[in-house]
Amino acid sequence: MDVELNEDQTMLQEMTRRFLEDRSPIAALRRLVDGGEGFDREVWRQAAELGWVALFVPEENGGIAESAQGVADAAIVAEELGRVVFSGPFLSTCVVAFAIAQSGSEAQRAEWLPGLAAGETLASWCFAGPGTKAGVRAGSVSASRRGDGHVLDGIAAYAEYAEAADLLLVTAQGVQGLSQFVLPAGTAGITVEPMDAMDLGRSLARVRFEGVVAGPEALLGDAGKADEAFERQLQAALVLHCAETVGVTDRAFEFTLEWVNERHAFGRPIGSYQALKHRLADHVMQLEGAKAAAAHAARAVQAGAPDAAIAVSVAKSQCGRSATEIIRDCLQMHGGIGLTWEHDIHFYLRRAVSNEMLWGSPAVHHERLSRLAGI
Amino acid sequence: MENTAEAPTGERRTSEHLDTDEQRAFRLKAREYMAANLPPRIPGQPANSFEDLELVALDRQIQKKLYDGGLGGYVGITVPEEYGGLGLDRRFEDIFFEEAEPYRLPWHYGNAVVIVLPCLLAHGTEEQKKKYIPRILSGEHLWAQLLSEPSGGSDLAGVLTRAEKRGDEWVLNGSKVWTSGGHVSDMGLCLARSDPTVRKHAGLTMFLVDMHQPGMSVHPIRLVRGGSDFCQEFLDDVIVPDCDVLGDVNDGWTVARTQLNSERAGMARGWHYGLRRAEASAHIEISRRYARLAEELGVSGDADARQLIGEAIVLDAVYDLTSKRAATGARNGALPPTIGMVTSLLSARTSIDRTALMSALAGPVGVAGSPGGDGPDIGMDRVVTHRIGGGTLEMQLNLVSERHLGLPREPGSDRDVPFNQLRHNATPKLAG
Repeated sequence: MDVELNEDQTMLQEMTRRFLEDRSPIAALRRLVDGGEGFDREVWRQAAELGWVALFVPEENGGIAESAQGVADAAIVAEELGRVVFSGPFLSTCVVAFAIAQSGSEAQRAEWLPGLAAGETLASWCFAGPGTKAGVRAGSVSASRRGDGHVLDGIAAYAEYAEAADLLLVTAQGVQGLSQFVLPAGTAGITVEPMDAMDLGRSLARVRFEGVVAGPEALLGDAGKADEAFERQLQAALVLHCAETVGVTDRAFEFTLEWVNERHAFGRPIGSYQALKHRLADHVMQLEGAKAAAAHAARAVQAGAPDAAIAVSVAKSQCGRSATEIIRDCLQMHGGIGLTWEHDIHFYLRRAVSNEMLWGSPAVHHERLSRLAGI
Repeated sequence: MENTAEAPTGERRTSEHLDTDEQRAFRLKAREYMAANLPPRIPGQPANSFEDLELVALDRQIQKKLYDGGLGGYVGITVPEEYGGLGLDRRFEDIFFEEAEPYRLPWHYGNAVVIVLPCLLAHGTEEQKKKYIPRILSGEHLWAQLLSEPSGGSDLAGVLTRAEKRGDEWVLNGSKVWTSGGHVSDMGLCLARSDPTVRKHAGLTMFLVDMHQPGMSVHPIRLVRGGSDFCQEFLDDVIVPDCDVLGDVNDGWTVARTQLNSERAGMARGWHYGLRRAEASAHIEISRRYARLAEELGVSGDADARQLIGEAIVLDAVYDLTSKRAATGARNGALPPTIGMVTSLLSARTSIDRTALMSALAGPVGVAGSPGGDGPDIGMDRVVTHRIGGGTLEMQLNLVSERHLGLPREPGSDRDVPFNQLRHNATPKLAG
């Protein structure tokens, strides 16, 4: 995706690809789905040993953050995860680790980060409302002061891997502004209701907060002052999400290209017909656009560049729309076989369509861009 | 809007600190000479407009001044000395363009320098190189490309213009079209059919043609918006001496390929050398045009308008980021050289898509307004924005799918068939 990876990053990419080909190829997702399971905890633990979450965790808390480029490196992993339509709490656990490393007290970092880095603690971020415009704004959970702590009420939707999570990061709206909390998933008053997700490799849930008491030890950063931290977390999540979408599209495009070269109709490869190859030319063009936008967003967010907020929305719009458009047409080019359960392409298209709409649909990001442009 | 000079930014970045003594001496010489002899670069002035005869004449003078001043005339810096150039490396050319930033450069020589010069260097005889290259560098010859014909443009190897050998001369008959600046050019690079009895690519020859002879009539073409830089030529017993055949007889397709590759390379570099500043921002910059337009149209708070503007911002940024990534990737080997074809396709799609977004944003205001206002321009952009010149959209789609993606070609019914057995189109008249 990025054409300027350094040696360490190239190594990370190769190592991740080898690991996934060996331990979690697309056939693994098919097995999980057929077996009615969500994800493979053993694979997740092994993956954590490779340092996937540790990228965000400082050395003193069991991580490797000092010698890594957190968001940029994690984007490399995410792209590889996309190529195999990986099922697992990568994005959610990474972003929660990122948030705690950035905003947590010494005690919070010491309590949570080692487990997250080791793959023993799974985490989910609860912030999005349930509606069609969900994805880039928090506020569906409210925080009101009580004593030296807060009480949380409301519903957060589309929370990734909340059902399996041990730890929840909650972004809630108070009278002064946004506040964030880290709470064990078993805290009284929290109910996790699994959602029926079309992406078969992604667990999503609605998390209900009913009079949940969050003591001062749960408050992440200062009360009412989490707006900036929220935006940083959102940007990090969008980078990983877009990188994954690029991987999904890249791989589906790759095997479609092989298919149109091999498949013959009327005496020649179907890929020799302009009716198909002109579409594929447009698709590779949009895919290159998605790669460029996602790579730029990763670098901008990692560097804290002045255009980081714009870059993630540009990337989200481009990656989301092109992925669906490209893979939908790739399925079309497969003909009838593409619509069968036996072919892998539906796993790819499910993830593409789902990714386009989660974390802010293109329309939500277009609106955000207008706002960022001062309109 | 794309090909006009920009206002100076105030802060000029040069690579002066990297100069060797020799480079520094060249820089100072260029700086001093340009300050004394070149007209300033005027923001908004078109890089080229062949309809503007005064501007064409000015560029001829500038080219001559650069040559007379020992600066090689715009792009002669890397041309060998025996052909009138300076025989220096690319670094000196970079220095030249850095120093030329405040001044107008002779951009009407685009065809001559981007296309004709590489063709002459690659395929010309010693005699041709010594005769024609110095005349380009000194401003004496403006060149046109006589390639497309009214009977077809994409199928270039199917040209119908006939070249017949009579004694020591060739006699050319036919019609050429879409020649930029044909009416002001002195010489033309002309692809013609020298042998119609063999398959189409094998019977072509490239000629260096004197545009000022009686058999050559040149007619400007009027495009939908009014004028244009383009012409149609009728060749009626045009005479070319045998010494002005470029490359071998019946091997004109080899020269044509150099020509097309040079054209593509030129487009990738930016046709008007020295027009754009090399240093682009590393960050996404949102064009202020959108906020201004939204305010003018009174739609800043309108949800639909904000969607369209958001989309336009994405469109611009994706084009910018993709071309930067492609350039970097092609340079460091992370991407294949064919990635340039993808960027070129994206450029076409982006400009077309942007006119659609702006037209939707403006609504009826973009198609009719007060006389003298710029409202109807938005609608007219929708009418005139296509990718036809420089390779149609369809040819670009072929290039990307066949060369970049490696997909098989469509079988053609013109291969291995003598050209005179193929069916041909008529030759319509496009100029009034």
